[in-house]
Amino acid sequence: MSAEFRIQVASDIVPAVSGEPLPPPMVETRGLDAWYGDFQALRKVDFSAPKGRVTAIIGPSGCGKSTLVRALNRMNDLVPGYRTSGEIVLDGSAAPADPAGVIGLRRHMGMLFQRPNPFPMSVFDNVAYGLRLERRFKKSELAEPVERALTRAGLWEEVKDRLGRSGLGLSGGQQQRLCLARSLAVEPEVILMDEPTSALDPIATLKVEELMREFRDEVTIIIVTHNMQQAARVSDVTAFMMMGAGRAGELVESNSTVELFNQPKDRRTEDYITGRFG
Amino acid sequence: MEPLAHPHRPSLETEQRRVRDLVLEMGEMVDIAIHHATRALVDRDVELAGAVIAGDHVVNARQAEVHEHCLSVILTQAPVARDLREILGFLHMSDELERMGDHCVNIARIARNLSDLPPLGAPVDLPILSRTVAAQVRDMLNALVARDIDRAREIAARDDRVDRIYHRMVDDILQLMVGDSRNVYPGTQLILVSMNLERIADRVTNLAEDLVFLETGSVEELG
Repeated sequence: MSAEFRIQVASDIVPAVSGEPLPPPMVETRGLDAWYGDFQALRKVDFSAPKGRVTAIIGPSGCGKSTLVRALNRMNDLVPGYRTSGEIVLDGSAAPADPAGVIGLRRHMGMLFQRPNPFPMSVFDNVAYGLRLERRFKKSELAEPVERALTRAGLWEEVKDRLGRSGLGLSGGQQQRLCLARSLAVEPEVILMDEPTSALDPIATLKVEELMREFRDEVTIIIVTHNMQQAARVSDVTAFMMMGAGRAGELVESNSTVELFNQPKDRRTEDYITGRFG
Repeated sequence: MEPLAHPHRPSLETEQRRVRDLVLEMGEMVDIAIHHATRALVDRDVELAGAVIAGDHVVNARQAEVHEHCLSVILTQAPVARDLREILGFLHMSDELERMGDHCVNIARIARNLSDLPPLGAPVDLPILSRTVAAQVRDMLNALVARDIDRAREIAARDDRVDRIYHRMVDDILQLMVGDSRNVYPGTQLILVSMNLERIADRVTNLAEDLVFLETGSVEELG
């Protein structure tokens, strides 16, 4: 067997961390069930996202991907009839279940949505927003963390001369990176992303993907995506979900991204990723 | 929920079938080229040797076609998992078969060079090596059609037998060369022929490894 052929194949699909053992989980669910009224949206989901790595959640529409992500930072708590059972574990400890714990929880978990949602305020105030929730700052104290967050989100050079202007005036891609900067400003341990690039053009998408790779090691990222190529490009671990009996979302298989896209263990995963499903 | 049991990617699958058929066609051409090159040598048939040399461009053209199709499938269909391995596996097989074709051309060239010389003083059983190698190629093509990895592993394991025949033949030829210096030039040429046949058999082992990779996703060192 000519060795160079095999090595070439492997290096083409191997993301940065393949082969290294994965760090311990930052976010875990154990036997997580979720209901909207009588409808069970998640059934016995054991999900795990390793610390400082990118974990992608893929699966057909309606399989519970968004519900899982929203369960993690309790976005669904106010949805009438919504309830969960099972455990959510953050960095080894049970996540707070009481309503008062939500603010603290979200301090550790930022979120990026499908459509960028900058607040109707200046670029600067958008980024400073989370910091101001913690305590009163003088404007001069905020300049440095705001600049740092915008730099990390790859936006500083583009907005440094228009910090006072409305965030809504930016392009779609810039708005999404502004939202990313807003999340990063409070230095969260985890950023959840629910289809973060589906409303963006390919160039803006690539910028966001590049940023995700840059944050590796510092932030744990969990991304829901319909785009399997995106999951393959950006993630270290991929989890595949699909609807089980009664249309409840189940986690079928979770593995290193290279393994999952090369040798899926479950036939259903293989059918889905090779486009032969449904 | 059970996955639906029907294929959904007709364009991808049509392309995959096309690539597989091209590779099988290359395999058949190589099989014939081994027979013809050996017969040209044994029968001192210059015309047949010329036909093997001239026919190699068809094998090369098929390889180029395989490359073109594989590239287009990767660009347009973004295959993953088994689909990707299938394309990469056949792509590599086409390279191996193209090189096998080159080995046959080498043998045919030697057949042409030796056609004016008298035969060696004693018989050298070249046809048995040639037949064994051609059988390896043919069996491997059948294993490929049947997607039978156990058979592929067996075929790779039989490469030892080819090696034994090859070494024995080289020993025999060396003896003839030691015994009579007029045998040195044709003897050297025949050793080159056996080496080319032995290399073809090695590449059959590579094809077996490709089939195992294609079917299982694992890289196995066979032979």
